[in-house]
Amino acid sequence: MSPSLAAVLGLVAMALISILAGLFARRYSRTTSDFMVAARAVPPRINAAAISGEYLSAASFLGVAGLVMQFGYDVLWYPVGYAAGYLLLLLFVAGPLRRFGAYTIPDFAEGRFDSPRFRRLAVVLVLVIGFFYALPQMKAAGLTVETASGLPYWVGVVAVAVVVVTAVTGGGMRGITLVQSLQFAAKIFAISLPAFLLLLHFGGPGTPFAPARGQLVRLPASTTYRVTRGELWQLPRATSVDVEGEALVLWSREDPVRAPGAVTAEVGDTPAPSSPVRGSKHLLLFGQQRIPAGTLVWDSNAAVLVPKGQPAPFGSATPAASTASWSAPFGPLAGGSGHPLLFTYSLILAIVLGTIGLPHILVRFYTNPDARAARRTALLVLVLLGAFYIWPPVFGALGRALDPSLYGNNLTDAVVLVLPSLLGGWLGQLLLAVVAAGAFAAFTSTLSGLLVSLAGALGHDVYGRWLRPAASPHRRRVAFQVAAVGAGGLAAALGLMVSQFDISVLVGWAFAIAASSFFPLLVLGIWWPRLTTRAAALGVALGGGTATLAIVTTMVATLSPQVEDFLARSSGLAVILAQPAIVTVPLAFATMVLGSLLRPGPPPGVASKLVQLHAPELLGLRSDYIPE
Amino acid sequence: MRPEGRLTPPPPSSSGLREFSEQTEVGGIFLQALMRRQLRLSLGVAAVFFAFLAAQPLLSTVWKPWTRWDVTGVPVTWVVLGVLSYPLLVWLGRHYVRRAEEVDEEFTDLLR
Repeated sequence: MSPSLAAVLGLVAMALISILAGLFARRYSRTTSDFMVAARAVPPRINAAAISGEYLSAASFLGVAGLVMQFGYDVLWYPVGYAAGYLLLLLFVAGPLRRFGAYTIPDFAEGRFDSPRFRRLAVVLVLVIGFFYALPQMKAAGLTVETASGLPYWVGVVAVAVVVVTAVTGGGMRGITLVQSLQFAAKIFAISLPAFLLLLHFGGPGTPFAPARGQLVRLPASTTYRVTRGELWQLPRATSVDVEGEALVLWSREDPVRAPGAVTAEVGDTPAPSSPVRGSKHLLLFGQQRIPAGTLVWDSNAAVLVPKGQPAPFGSATPAASTASWSAPFGPLAGGSGHPLLFTYSLILAIVLGTIGLPHILVRFYTNPDARAARRTALLVLVLLGAFYIWPPVFGALGRALDPSLYGNNLTDAVVLVLPSLLGGWLGQLLLAVVAAGAFAAFTSTLSGLLVSLAGALGHDVYGRWLRPAASPHRRRVAFQVAAVGAGGLAAALGLMVSQFDISVLVGWAFAIAASSFFPLLVLGIWWPRLTTRAAALGVALGGGTATLAIVTTMVATLSPQVEDFLARSSGLAVILAQPAIVTVPLAFATMVLGSLLRPGPPPGVASKLVQLHAPELLGLRSDYIPE
Repeated sequence: MRPEGRLTPPPPSSSGLREFSEQTEVGGIFLQALMRRQLRLSLGVAAVFFAFLAAQPLLSTVWKPWTRWDVTGVPVTWVVLGVLSYPLLVWLGRHYVRRAEEVDEEFTDLLR
């Protein structure tokens, strides 16, 4: 994609707005309570916009559209699941958690069980989840700036880190509440307006489905691909190409639609293209030529023109599925797993349950004045997320019809950033600036929420409660600010190293760890009086630990050929390791329930904790765990 | 609302609040009744939405024809999952918030 002045302007404008709003809020943020929970004075409307702003990360703004373009119908479970998580949060957690009145989730862990050691365990998990979630945002920042403006990857990472650290150290929770609600407005505008205009211009929502149900995608315009040595192409039909100069390819007849590589191409996976394919042969391509259907690996760099109307070549990341399979349930994503129904159910469970355990989202409910406001906030979040999540699939589906060259270039993740320019002229450029600004808002708002959560864990839980319980309020606030700078710097440094991992995959891992640790802790801690401290801690450690272990194994596998080989031979294990929630969530629940039943003895004072969690405010019994 | 879901405590009096806040045995029974009503409401609403989600892949497995229907060119499966899910979520959420606040209010009246 060519660099664009409009996109750069959009990015800079969003960065300036975010910094200015953060600096503006600085005037109003003085006390520790301002920094940690915005003085518990945020009304539902603002809090809902801030939560939605924080939650709609790069994975939602860019990732979902890209995945829909790749895998079609099955991906719709992601946005629906992301939104549905808030229904469960509303039903089981929001009200009671707010009544508890703490600053952080480790506060809840210690307060509910009267156990300082529980706080330390919870802090470790907050940090693990926070960093896992922060890395993909950093990666998205680097990528967006790189694709939209042509500047190097690190520029985006550093720019976002500076903006976020400025906003968080300046105004803490109170400051970013304002920034994030502005950023939500920017995001919903940036996704809905271009999608709506694209639909109008290109003939309505039926466009991606109408011409080609059952057929393969054809290029709407002649396209020049710049391929590099080792790149893989899947040609679903015989395809005419025009090669500049000459190029050597390794070709094999395997039907790409049914080739094992096509099916196992998981989200964000890039199969090693160098592996020799059975029954393959070398072809020398020069000038105009017709290549038979099959899979080919480019053996040299080349510029290849594929004329208009030819079937679009698919790269390694996307299965070359027909539009019929793409648009139907159990298409290339779920159908490829061999157990489509089971796969779909486990996907739904992992996505929905993950949201409830995310510490940086949960702390936001402490910023409401009371439980009634917390419930209304969660309800409004459902409204706002619903209004947003209708649009990314529109981008994904239109991308299939309007710019299938993204398949061959493995650039489906950028579909939101690419399509607006198809409208042409000044309108196209303007919309390009708008979506670039929206993308920038997506990763900065999520990162600033994560940074408050990380800085809260380090500054409040580790420094203020664990190391120096006697520290003055002023020193606590300084500790929060120092922690924010440190955590922001560390996240940026790590962000420079994760370019080979896929954005949605990394976010999925943070969800899995949260779903297997904090989700069971909160649900049982709020609703089950017989839960014992020992069983709860064991469940959190076991659930969070096994989920982390499974994920680290998968990460090692992408770097080490031996482990990858082993996993390739036992596909069932590989699926569970890559999506561990389906096993680790029940494991954590079972540990907590069985542990509490086998060695009964709930912590002393559990009755007063439950009164605190469930007594309606109207009774006037109110007592926050950390008063103001 | 079913009658057995209602609280059936001793006659309301201002001592109810004291029993509750001091966590006497009677107060514990009050609290248990409140939690049970709130939890039953939450589980009911959650069950409705999970049924809506779970029914779709099941329908696509046992009764294929519905995957071929479309409205104005868009498959019905896309519309139901990708669009209708959100109004349903909001509707369920609103229903829950109303009922939960009612339960809280009834409980407060009872203790006062």
